[in-house]
Amino acid sequence: MELRTPLTQEVINKLKINDQITITGKIYAGRDAALPKLMKLYKKQELEKNGIYLEGGVIFHTAVSDAGIGPTSSNKLEIEESIPLLSKAGIKIHLGKGKLTDETVRALKEEGAIFAVTPPVSALLTAKMRHKKVAAFPEEGIEALYELIIEDFPAIVAIAHGESIFDRK
Amino acid sequence: MLQLHMENQFLTESEEDEMENLQVDVIIDRVADTLVKASSTFASDQIRAYERAIARETNENAKWVLEKLIENSQIAEERSAPLCDDTGTPHVIIELGENAILPGYFLNAVEQGVAEGLRRLPARAMGVLGNEKERISQEKGLSEDPGYLAMAPVRIIRVTGDKIKVHVLMLGGGPELRGKTLRVFHKHNFDVVLDEMVAWAKEAVALLGCQPAILAFGVGRTNFEASALAVEALKDANFDEQSEIEKSITEKVSAEHIGALGLGGESSVLATFVKIGMQRASGWRVVSLRTECCVGPRKAFCEF
Repeated sequence: MELRTPLTQEVINKLKINDQITITGKIYAGRDAALPKLMKLYKKQELEKNGIYLEGGVIFHTAVSDAGIGPTSSNKLEIEESIPLLSKAGIKIHLGKGKLTDETVRALKEEGAIFAVTPPVSALLTAKMRHKKVAAFPEEGIEALYELIIEDFPAIVAIAHGESIFDRK
Repeated sequence: MLQLHMENQFLTESEEDEMENLQVDVIIDRVADTLVKASSTFASDQIRAYERAIARETNENAKWVLEKLIENSQIAEERSAPLCDDTGTPHVIIELGENAILPGYFLNAVEQGVAEGLRRLPARAMGVLGNEKERISQEKGLSEDPGYLAMAPVRIIRVTGDKIKVHVLMLGGGPELRGKTLRVFHKHNFDVVLDEMVAWAKEAVALLGCQPAILAFGVGRTNFEASALAVEALKDANFDEQSEIEKSITEKVSAEHIGALGLGGESSVLATFVKIGMQRASGWRVVSLRTECCVGPRKAFCEF
């Protein structure tokens, strides 16, 4: 299925685990350093003041450097901890890799968001990136929050509506 | 073969300096190109291994991942771009021919070549600034220069011939998290050690996140030696050649059906490479496991 951001709840409701998707449009990129800071901005209701709009959005768990972009493990403490709150803030797809906990599976369901995975294919993913700019926290360098424009980003739905692809066995 | 500089009674001192500078420039350039090639290219035997994995894969999502990995390698090679954005820490192994002459400036030139290669790629700028304590806490941040990431200590191996071969391996961070070096009590039975190696690998591959894994084992007398042998196994890795021990480990771990990207299927491990060194009289062996991710082992060499 071809998806374009911002995403509606109706589109998310149609997706199920094992679906192969592509994502086109504006997304955010952040990981261990940026996501806790992003949560603080949300709690202080300062997202819009900083030009950040998460409703219907996608967050890709990656650093952004001259070497390109590629998924980091989403089950790292500070990244996985961000998923419930950022889903509440409006994020519809968390994009990364790795198995997440049952608690996160439940939180995604409750907030109407999903988790998708993409392989560490940096040359391919970087070739599909049309634009990048720092959206917040420039002091974090390659781990700042970035705004990316992407085209036909490939991914697989791994967790949706209480089901996880990693629980297949 | 590059004729490395030796003192020549027919050259003036300035001519000797000029020749040495020229040779240093050639070494830097070739090592830099080698680092870029290691970071951006799958060897033909690795592509064949992926094609075999795709042919036997029954899980459609896992097959999709394996196909993306080949597509990624094609784009990376075309653009001389990194296969993975974790461009890794450079490790250099030098194979020194018994009749070769290694001038004193060679290692310095290799070091400069590695730094130049990191800038040329460009690698992710990951070198941590500061003094000993600050480098641990990372409180002074990172250097913006990709070349600031110094290479790991060089290993030199004696070989026959009169050439000097410089191998560059780019070792990523994920496999470091999943690596392990520890003594194993063998009970005078090879299978006891093998079973332990398989158990370690099953646990590490499940946690890796970037499957299929490429497993490298070194078995030696010390932690240092075992780790060095594991990296040497990657240097010599040929996906078309698998020993019975290597095949056995690959099959046993793949039977877990962790699969590509953890999505299930037949491709938990693409191949295993084992290097068993000399042993000492004792009831234990030191085993080192490196769980390479699906873009590893990023390696290439140049020869002088």
